[in-house]
Amino acid sequence: MDQTNPAANSIPSEDSIPMNDGTSAVDGQGEALQSDEQLMLAFAAGRTDAFTVLFERYKQPLFGFFRRRIADPAQAEELTQETFIAILRSAPRYQPSALFRTFLYAIALRVLRAHRRKAAFRATFFGEQPVGHEPAGNSDLVVDLLMREAIARLDRIDREVLLLREFEKLSYTEIAEVLALPLNTVRSRLFRARSALHDLLGAPAPSKPSSAPAAEVRA
Amino acid sequence: MITTTHPVSPEDVMALADGELSGAEAAAVAAHVAECAECSSLAAQLAATSAAFAKWTVPDAPAGLYASVATHVADAGGGKQGSLFGRTAFLRGPRWSVAQMSAVAAVLLLVAAGLTMHYRSRSSSALSSAQMIDGSSLIDPGNSTRGSASRPVPAPPPPPSESLHYKAPQGDQVAVPAQGLAMATLAAPSARARKSDALDAKSTSPAPQVASASPMIARTASLTIVVKDLTAARSSLDSILARRHGYSAQLSVFTPENLLQSAQASLRVPVGELAFAIGDLKTLGHVENEIQSGEEVTQQHADLVARLQNSRETEQRLRAILEQRTGKIEDVLQVEEEIARVRGEIEQMEADQEVLEHRVDFATIDLRLTEQYREQLEPQSATVSMQIRNAFVTGLRHAGATLLGILLFLEEAVPTVLIWLAILAVPGFLFWRRYRRLSAKI
Repeated sequence: MDQTNPAANSIPSEDSIPMNDGTSAVDGQGEALQSDEQLMLAFAAGRTDAFTVLFERYKQPLFGFFRRRIADPAQAEELTQETFIAILRSAPRYQPSALFRTFLYAIALRVLRAHRRKAAFRATFFGEQPVGHEPAGNSDLVVDLLMREAIARLDRIDREVLLLREFEKLSYTEIAEVLALPLNTVRSRLFRARSALHDLLGAPAPSKPSSAPAAEVRA
Repeated sequence: MITTTHPVSPEDVMALADGELSGAEAAAVAAHVAECAECSSLAAQLAATSAAFAKWTVPDAPAGLYASVATHVADAGGGKQGSLFGRTAFLRGPRWSVAQMSAVAAVLLLVAAGLTMHYRSRSSSALSSAQMIDGSSLIDPGNSTRGSASRPVPAPPPPPSESLHYKAPQGDQVAVPAQGLAMATLAAPSARARKSDALDAKSTSPAPQVASASPMIARTASLTIVVKDLTAARSSLDSILARRHGYSAQLSVFTPENLLQSAQASLRVPVGELAFAIGDLKTLGHVENEIQSGEEVTQQHADLVARLQNSRETEQRLRAILEQRTGKIEDVLQVEEEIARVRGEIEQMEADQEVLEHRVDFATIDLRLTEQYREQLEPQSATVSMQIRNAFVTGLRHAGATLLGILLFLEEAVPTVLIWLAILAVPGFLFWRRYRRLSAKI
């Protein structure tokens, strides 16, 4: 399995990293645009313009991350800001051994979990607040509601594995790292989530072929 | 039932589509998918699901998103991020932090409770032992004013000028003006003279006039003196009493081991010698506390004299009846019984009068002598190993006492805690279930 540069094999979506080709772009000072990790180290060294480049790269993916997980657009925007601020504050701890986006989504997940805990606590004692759906910019409201309804029926971890793969385009290894799961668990959960989503979206479920001899073949 | 076996797993087919397989493995799986219609269909379905899912797009990020972040970027610029990092405690596992803090707080609470119980039991035992020591020294509590620095003299309130209460400051010598003493000396006629006055007045004037003739004051004084040598002080005390014509009504000496020696005495001296006796006693050592007071007993004495006079007259009349008249034997016996009763009352009142006049004639000095503390030079000091052993034993004892305190605290608290748990269990469970449900939903 190719684990050297998983992001290179992923298919970028419309809201995925806009300038993360690592070589072609040029920053405001005329220097060759660096990788995310180099930008993060430059920011930790005091170059605030490096963070601006990172922000521009990841503001849409991160906003999409929260927007798909939280129905309220205002809260999604707020959590996006909170995640960037957390990145700012944790910059001195950043180790270049970890991919920046793994670092970013790990923090985003923590922010999301903290928000969910607080929201659940508030709802426990003060009741649930009605959340209105705003029509999406590029997809209509029906698709938005349909997808939210479908993923709400998935197991929580299966849902996260699926979303991280489909929209954040994380590799299996990165998903395993972010969610602290074994790699095989990520594979099996992702397959299970896709199968369930296929059923939920109305298409016939992919039939799972018998794979009893597979282990012997690979062995 | 038809069962088809495949050399690759469906997850491998999915991984191939996701580009997660290495070159050789990808080639093998791709070859199988190309040959196997079922796996090919699976790959197509997975791709269709992903394509359908990809239709779920989100609007563009708000334009003002960077505005609030920009201020933090400016703050964090130039390597100042470390100052901001302290506010991101939630990134380090809030639940663990809360759990750890709760555990630490619980342990501290238990230790504090144990120590509190331990020291409470120690202080209560020390207090009870102190009370035992104090109680054992109270040989004559009715006549003692020892330790009355904060306790008023339990006598009827004397005239203000006749009560002196002086608590010596630390290290100062007491010099109390003997104003009350001079008054007492001047206002104290001899007991015999008063007695004769009272007897003379019984036939001429009523009792209230006797009471207003001259004030009768019972003087009392209390001294607490710290002496260097208690034995020498006792010898000096005897000589002072002899010189001032007084006597010791009571004397108690306490010589506890490893504690300060002390003596408690109740002295009686003629009221005319009181000021001189106190002056002599002050030379014994450092005066820590001095109280002087006077109780006016004029009215009490006058009442006693009047009642005595009436009883004597009654006795005389009864005797006259017995001598001059005759009657039945029962009447005679009744008169004799009455005479005996009156005679008993007279003797009782005469005794009371004697005591009262003695209190006026002889002042009472409650004296407490305490030996000055001297550090003992121990001939054989404990060796280092012995000190270590003693410290270890003491530490073990304290640890055991603390554990016992914790146990006692738990024993005390557990029933109450169980009651509260029983009360809060149902609503707590309902809230927890609701929280879990909402957590899964949000």
